[in-house]
Amino acid sequence: MAYKNSNRSRLGKRFLRHLLAWLAIAFAIFPALYILGTSFNASNSISTTGIIPQHPTLEHYRSLICDPNHPFFLWTWNTIKVSGITAGATVFLCALGAYALSRFRFRGRRAGLLAVLLVQMFPQTLGMVAIFLMMAWLSNIVPWLGINTHSGLILVYLGGAMGFNTWLMKGFFDSIPRSLEESAMLDGATPFQAFRRIILPLSRPILAVVFVIQFIASYSEYMLASILLKGKEMYTLSVGMRLFVTQHYDDRWGPFAAAGVMGSIIVLIVFYALQRQIVSGLTRGATKG
Amino acid sequence: MVAYLFKIVGLGLLDALALAACILFGLDANFIFAGSVATGILLLNWLAFSRRSYPFRYLVPGLFFLAAMVVYPIIYTTYIALTNYSTGHILTKQQSIEQFTQREYAPPQLRHFAFTAFLNQHGMLTAVLLRSKEKEFVVFRDGHWEPVEGHELVDEDGDSTVDRLDGWTRMERRDLGAYIGELQTLRVPFEDGWLRMATLTEFRLFLPCYVYDPTQDILVDQQTGNVYRPVKGQFTTGDGEVLDPGWMEYVGFRNFIRLVTTPRYRGPFLRVFLWTVEWALFTVLVSFVLGLALAILLNDPKMRVRKVYRSLVIIPWVLPSFISILVWKGFFNTEFGLFNQLLRSWFGIAVPWLVESFWARFSLILMNVWLTYPYMMVVSLGALQSIPDELHEAARVDGATPWQRFQRITLPLLMISIAPLLVGSFATTFNNFNVVWLLTEGGPVVRIGEPAGATDILISYAYKLAFLGTRGNEMALSSAVAVVIFLVILTISAVSFRYTRVLEKVSRGL
Repeated sequence: MAYKNSNRSRLGKRFLRHLLAWLAIAFAIFPALYILGTSFNASNSISTTGIIPQHPTLEHYRSLICDPNHPFFLWTWNTIKVSGITAGATVFLCALGAYALSRFRFRGRRAGLLAVLLVQMFPQTLGMVAIFLMMAWLSNIVPWLGINTHSGLILVYLGGAMGFNTWLMKGFFDSIPRSLEESAMLDGATPFQAFRRIILPLSRPILAVVFVIQFIASYSEYMLASILLKGKEMYTLSVGMRLFVTQHYDDRWGPFAAAGVMGSIIVLIVFYALQRQIVSGLTRGATKG
Repeated sequence: MVAYLFKIVGLGLLDALALAACILFGLDANFIFAGSVATGILLLNWLAFSRRSYPFRYLVPGLFFLAAMVVYPIIYTTYIALTNYSTGHILTKQQSIEQFTQREYAPPQLRHFAFTAFLNQHGMLTAVLLRSKEKEFVVFRDGHWEPVEGHELVDEDGDSTVDRLDGWTRMERRDLGAYIGELQTLRVPFEDGWLRMATLTEFRLFLPCYVYDPTQDILVDQQTGNVYRPVKGQFTTGDGEVLDPGWMEYVGFRNFIRLVTTPRYRGPFLRVFLWTVEWALFTVLVSFVLGLALAILLNDPKMRVRKVYRSLVIIPWVLPSFISILVWKGFFNTEFGLFNQLLRSWFGIAVPWLVESFWARFSLILMNVWLTYPYMMVVSLGALQSIPDELHEAARVDGATPWQRFQRITLPLLMISIAPLLVGSFATTFNNFNVVWLLTEGGPVVRIGEPAGATDILISYAYKLAFLGTRGNEMALSSAVAVVIFLVILTISAVSFRYTRVLEKVSRGL
């Protein structure tokens, strides 16, 4: 009897655990499911849509593509371009910096470490007024780097990306044993060759993590993009989609849902492809402090 | 060897270019530019040739961006916070004076000058003959004029108009259209004022509205005789009448004092400050508790599908945040939104989600918890897995209940690695502009005409002041708010560095 009882309570506990897990999952994914359903639903208004579309249709995707006033694909392309270049350059620049901080011993290293650690606490957006004025000034001298240019936006994003990512990478580089490079250098390799041939291949996971983190961060950035980009054809997705939907929840809900689905797909793919590395990289870099 | 040659030649070319740029900027009296180019190129040469600079070759590219786009803006913002930079105070004092002294008025006794323009053989406007009852003179393109006596005037057909002046031919009236732009830019200093084209046939004398006296630093209105003195970056009369535009000047801590003493800004500022702290605290606490609970739930090795569950639960973290925020905004819509629809059909009630202050704050925190808990779960999972099982085993043998084990073993060990992350998360939430702006734009309005709404946090308040002011853009005040945020973060960092071992690690050289 006693045996049977405890078995039943264990079953009950297990059931409870799964139930809780499913509740959490429902909480996590209902907006995503809802938006997915809405994007295929024939109705356009926010008040008449549900998760499961009654009459599945691609109408919203079509109207989104054909909307001449809101060039959704151009915005997507702008965003991917800006985020991609920013993320790529971030990986390169931060790897260089982190290598120096991790491997070389030189005067000013401690100050450098401290500066990076401190600066990465301050969000770049605090300097918004100054950044705006700087870029306006730059517009007069080098127009293709100033206000309303993607290159200018990338420049600004790159600055914001340096602190945290350098710190993250340095933590990873520290965990790679030095013996490999030392033996390479005994064979006559320069420090740069050791960096390129040994460190970089070994730290592929962290390079991927930094790329993805930075890509997603730039992809979602709103404030600086809204200050610096003035023309509709220059907008990134965040600025454009806000403009598209803010005053129009009643009549543009369908196309907005379609845009949301398409805008999320690329990030979802990138993230889940590298999920393991990202999670381990983040916890590792972070808990290492 | 080839690489070395390449470096020498390339650097040589760059040096030459920089030298040329320096000289050009120097000749232009643009010494800031000349100086920065010179510093830049010297740094480059040092990096390329000094042995001691070797590590910096790796650091400089990243440091450049960090310095130019994070450190410098913060310093610059601090400087702006100490000025009166805002709409109406954007020019330098010099530019502002120039604007006033160039304003003009026509004296009550109009003085007219009929004009005749003359072209050279290439058809270019060369001179203008001005003629009034008592005076006649020749004006040249650079604006200077000479008495007509020294010049040769020829009336070829005897119709009492001058046809040639020093060999230049008269412009026909029908060609006026082609030259009118050039004629209109002519400004001829004359007596106390200047002459310029006023109608299609004549120039008139205009007098400056204001005259600046540099010795006394005053501006005098020529029509009324009013004397304006510089007060708070604006020319002001004794009766307090001011002239626009003013100029930018250093004002010390006046913005900060204004922020906490003037009624228009004090109320909103204190409210916003408090709410920012509440908002960051609530978000971090609730999402951490939720994340930790889920981490414990999904760390159970007996649950076979836990990895699938984990990947599903972190969805809010993965979706681009601006998209999910805009979706939530749709859900919260009072009239059509999903939540009110459900509440109406189930209970027959509707909640004013983003319309009333309390509910707007509630919605904001609810949504931000949704956005943040996956991160908390992920880092908690990592920390949980690093706690050795033996500790739990030993506690169980000693008869500790699960709750005791959690309280005495899991939580303290967890906190060692998680606490710094919580502090970081607090700082991030403290400044999470995106979430607030995309969901509520800081609204709803608390009091009509007040610059801050009920859900504005410090950084969105700063954004509003700088870029969306109803009474013009208050860049300086906005920067003052940014400096306040800066100080808060500095305090948080200092405290957290004290209690974690990061700094020790840095000082030991890791």
